[in-house]
Amino acid sequence: MAYTILLVDDEEGIRKVLGISLRDLGFTVYTAASGEEGIQLFDKYQPEIVLTDIKMPGLSGLDLLERFKFQSPDTEVIMLTGHGDMELAIQSIKRNATDFITKPVNDDALEIALKRAHERIEMRRQINQYTCDLEGLVDEQAAKLVEQERELAALQIAEGFADGLRTIVNTIDGGSSVFNQLPCFVSVHNSDSEIVSANPLFTERIGPSTGKPSWWAYKKNEDDRPASSPVERVLQTGDAQSSEECITDKAGNRLPVQVNAVPILDNNGAIELVLELAADMTEVQSMQEELRITRHRYQQLFEESPCYISVQNKELKIIANNRRFREDFGSSLGKSCHKLYAHRDSPCTSCPVLKTFKDGRTHQYETVVTTKTGDQRNVLIWTAPICDVEGNIAEVMEMSTDITQLRALQDRLSNLGLLLGSTAHGIKGLLTALDGGIYRLGSGISMQKPERIEDSYKDLSHLIDRLRKMVLDILHYAKERSLNWEVIILPNLVREIESIIRPKAEAKGISFNCIVPEDGTLEADYGGLTSALVNILENAVDSCAAKPSEAEYCVEFVTCTDGNSVEFTITDNGTGMSQETREKLFTLFFSSKGSAGTGIGLFVANQTIQQHGGTISVSSEPGEGSIFAVRLHATLPAHLKKEIITD
Amino acid sequence: MPHKVLVIDDDPYIVKYLIDILTDNGYATCSASNGSEGFEILKREQPDLVTLDLEMPEEWGPRFYRKMTKEPGFENTPVIVISGLPGIHLAIKNAVASLKKPFDPNALLEIIKNALADKETA
Repeated sequence: MAYTILLVDDEEGIRKVLGISLRDLGFTVYTAASGEEGIQLFDKYQPEIVLTDIKMPGLSGLDLLERFKFQSPDTEVIMLTGHGDMELAIQSIKRNATDFITKPVNDDALEIALKRAHERIEMRRQINQYTCDLEGLVDEQAAKLVEQERELAALQIAEGFADGLRTIVNTIDGGSSVFNQLPCFVSVHNSDSEIVSANPLFTERIGPSTGKPSWWAYKKNEDDRPASSPVERVLQTGDAQSSEECITDKAGNRLPVQVNAVPILDNNGAIELVLELAADMTEVQSMQEELRITRHRYQQLFEESPCYISVQNKELKIIANNRRFREDFGSSLGKSCHKLYAHRDSPCTSCPVLKTFKDGRTHQYETVVTTKTGDQRNVLIWTAPICDVEGNIAEVMEMSTDITQLRALQDRLSNLGLLLGSTAHGIKGLLTALDGGIYRLGSGISMQKPERIEDSYKDLSHLIDRLRKMVLDILHYAKERSLNWEVIILPNLVREIESIIRPKAEAKGISFNCIVPEDGTLEADYGGLTSALVNILENAVDSCAAKPSEAEYCVEFVTCTDGNSVEFTITDNGTGMSQETREKLFTLFFSSKGSAGTGIGLFVANQTIQQHGGTISVSSEPGEGSIFAVRLHATLPAHLKKEIITD
Repeated sequence: MPHKVLVIDDDPYIVKYLIDILTDNGYATCSASNGSEGFEILKREQPDLVTLDLEMPEEWGPRFYRKMTKEPGFENTPVIVISGLPGIHLAIKNAVASLKKPFDPNALLEIIKNALADKETA
């Protein structure tokens, strides 16, 4: 009970005696002789307990009681009364005095009064203590509750978010891995625009954010608060928000983000929380770039494939094509491939694109096409259906591979095969003749017929010669046919050809008009050139013979030379040819004569002329007849002669 | 009186070969290098049997055969086709036999012998 006590009494004896008693009891005591002095000391020492006489000159004890209780309500004031002052004592108790003690002061009474004062002080202190503790306890419990609430909310959000992602992922086949790696800053905000929770990426890149205001991620620096943030706008409008913002990360870098903020409502429909998803645009942009590159690669594959690719719709119109296609057939969108490939208005008879439209399978077709520059290309065409989402065939892709080189090689092999086939008959005859020679030689020896021996020996020599030539021819062809050139007298050549064609033409009732030049020479392979020209002339005769009407038919063979070049013109008024026939004319095994043609003649003729460095040009229309113009150098170019020397 | 065989072939070496085989085996022979000449010889020499090549200039073997079967007295003269062409067995329907060049001379002689024996008994 080490209280500070102020003792006020006008009687010095009382001050002295009481002062000693109180100090003995362990109190710190200040004494005052009057009410005025008492006020001074009270203000100076702030005592917990005041002992005051009621009756004093000047300010009375009641005055002090009133003043001290007003000034400091917790002060315990004990009144000292003289005998017969009971009325005043009661008044002081009414005014909240702690107790009163009658003079002369009895020690027990003093102790009781002081004890009561002590109890009152102690009780007040404890009440204070309890009050304070209670506030702390309430704060503590409240904090626990808030945290629990927060965790619960975060859990709900996480579950909701996971559900949402699952739904999205389920709708995007195989997209789960991509989604899990999505560079998203996810945060949950409460209705006071405070961040309640955030995903690890948010914490890692932007910083720990729980309890921070919603705009925190969008601050330009620590002091600058942006005017608004997506979450605040959600809270204002009650609707989901989507916007492009800039986030400042831990290092102070600005990240462009695409933000989606959605409200999460409580049972009453009020916004309880806001979920914010901020996607890092730089990542998104890099993914978009990757996608763009991938698309570009596909485009490149399409464009740069070493074949002609086109996509055609049901009307057989080309709606997409690649670079090779455009290069060789021109800008072709909206046109049809039979027009571009075959210069014909109707589809090919076994159009693979039509077949694919019909059955949805891939089809193959081989044909000869003509590029915009007039080059012939053997192509192998593959088709494949392109289906729409419902699985219907919307378009067909056509891939045409240029197999001209392959065909050229194959042609060569086929030619060799044909040559062997056509010579087989001759070989068989030759072998039989050799058998005969051997038999006659053998029988001549055994029958001692010298003339048969001699004759069979002579035959065998001839036959061996024939065999040698034949074998050499085949070997020669298998290697490379070369020009066996000589200087040809033009009139002789033309007369020889005339002697072959005229009987054939006249036998079919077709007149043959041959203009023989007066002179002129030509360096060429006599046999090759003759057979080439005869071939073209025979075709002219056949085309006249094939025409059904009874009109007059005529084949004309004109030769002219200016000394530098020689031109043979073969004109007929026969059936003529379509553009497609014209373009396929010189390809191997193409024949317009059905089973009557072999498809070899003009192929060989064209090859022979090309080997001479010459050209064959054809103009013809169906029903109008044809004109073949064969143009050759009068003097064989040096490089063509050279080949023969090195050969 | 030996049997007479007419040999028709455009290859003179083969004609010589056939003639020598037939002569060495006791047959009388005559020959022609194409169908129309063969028809002349046929009527003049009256052979008992004909060996016929198919592919010849001027007149082909099948044409000779048609003409021969319409000629009175030669309708049933046996014909043996000897040719290098593939599918010769279809060319002349009623040929006694079709031999491919190069042929086996002993087989040919056997066929001739049998054909003539059949003709005698017919």
